[in-house]
Amino acid sequence: MNQKMLAQLLDIGERMLISGAEVNRVEETISRMAKAYGVRRVDVFTITSSIVVTVSTDEGNILSQTRRILAYETNLDKLRQLNQLARTIVGTSPDEEYIEKELSVIQETVPYASWIKLLIYALIAGSFCVFFGGTLEDGLAAAVVGIALKLSISFFGRVERNTVIVHVLSPFLIGSLAIGLTRLGFGDQIEMILIGNIMLLIPGLSLTNSIRDIISGDTMAGILRMSEAVLVSLSIAIGFGLSTLMWGGW
Amino acid sequence: MIQIMTSFLGSLGFAVLFNVRGRYLLEAAFGGMLGWLCYSLLSGRLHNEYLAFLVAAMLVTGYAELMARVEKAPATTFLIAGMIPLVPGKGLYYTMRYAIGAESAGFVSQGTQTLAVAIAIAGGVMAASSIFRVIVSLQMTAKN
Repeated sequence: MNQKMLAQLLDIGERMLISGAEVNRVEETISRMAKAYGVRRVDVFTITSSIVVTVSTDEGNILSQTRRILAYETNLDKLRQLNQLARTIVGTSPDEEYIEKELSVIQETVPYASWIKLLIYALIAGSFCVFFGGTLEDGLAAAVVGIALKLSISFFGRVERNTVIVHVLSPFLIGSLAIGLTRLGFGDQIEMILIGNIMLLIPGLSLTNSIRDIISGDTMAGILRMSEAVLVSLSIAIGFGLSTLMWGGW
Repeated sequence: MIQIMTSFLGSLGFAVLFNVRGRYLLEAAFGGMLGWLCYSLLSGRLHNEYLAFLVAAMLVTGYAELMARVEKAPATTFLIAGMIPLVPGKGLYYTMRYAIGAESAGFVSQGTQTLAVAIAIAGGVMAASSIFRVIVSLQMTAKN
């Protein structure tokens, strides 16, 4: 085990965390991989925004590295491949070149094309609008608003990295659009149209996952994730609130 | 019926957004449908919404863990999209609306309800995955 190799193991852990792995899976994977190379002791500490690893090698060296995680991008296919690579490493402890080659292959997996994502936003917004009790026409209106939502998220996401600001501006925009559409007579239950789109915005999953983290003992990670979820919910509420204030009620 | 169909479509959509590929997509979406079906069958009969959410989350987790063993992919692949229809999006929305409308009584009751649903789902996931872990380690010791 040397610094370069540890960096590679940390690369795998970092990418797993970014792609959507749970905190304890990342910790377990890194320490298992390190042990496959015969180190005496591994200490891994992971929270949602950082990974810290220290290993004591058999030669008596102590190596330590840190990663800061700034942004997430859930990609479960990448996670599956990383997981497979980690298993291979634990099983056969391959050399540095092998890991590097495999990592670059995994890094090249492309996400779905953006036009597909656009359609999927429409599908999700429409489906959940009908799911929660909207009519088919409401569903269509929600789908239109969903496309606008995706466009506004990617636009604001490009010009502004602060998630709070993005999550105020996008709901404001789509709230206004939904109000406009219903006033024109396209769709009549504005609540259902908005709920369909909120399913795309709202961090319901982060909220649930944060509680999962807390129950399973990763209290720090869970609390961080929960504060993020609450913050994002508040920003969304402010965004929608602004749109109703501006256009005079739902 | 329409809810079962839309829960499948919604889960499918989220599976695509999370970049699930190939046949895993349909399997993940099926998990979402299964969870909702279980919840809607139970919610009328149990007289306890939270218990229905807990059992549905347990079922989805069990399904995800099983698929993970069958397909040799992490359980998360099937779990995240499968949990989507159960996630309290509507509750969070109404909590938000009460907050905007300055109706503090509605805000508190809707907010606690939403949080309780989230806790029930998380508890269901934890319970089922713990049971699964115990079964797997029992199998391992039996083999050795």
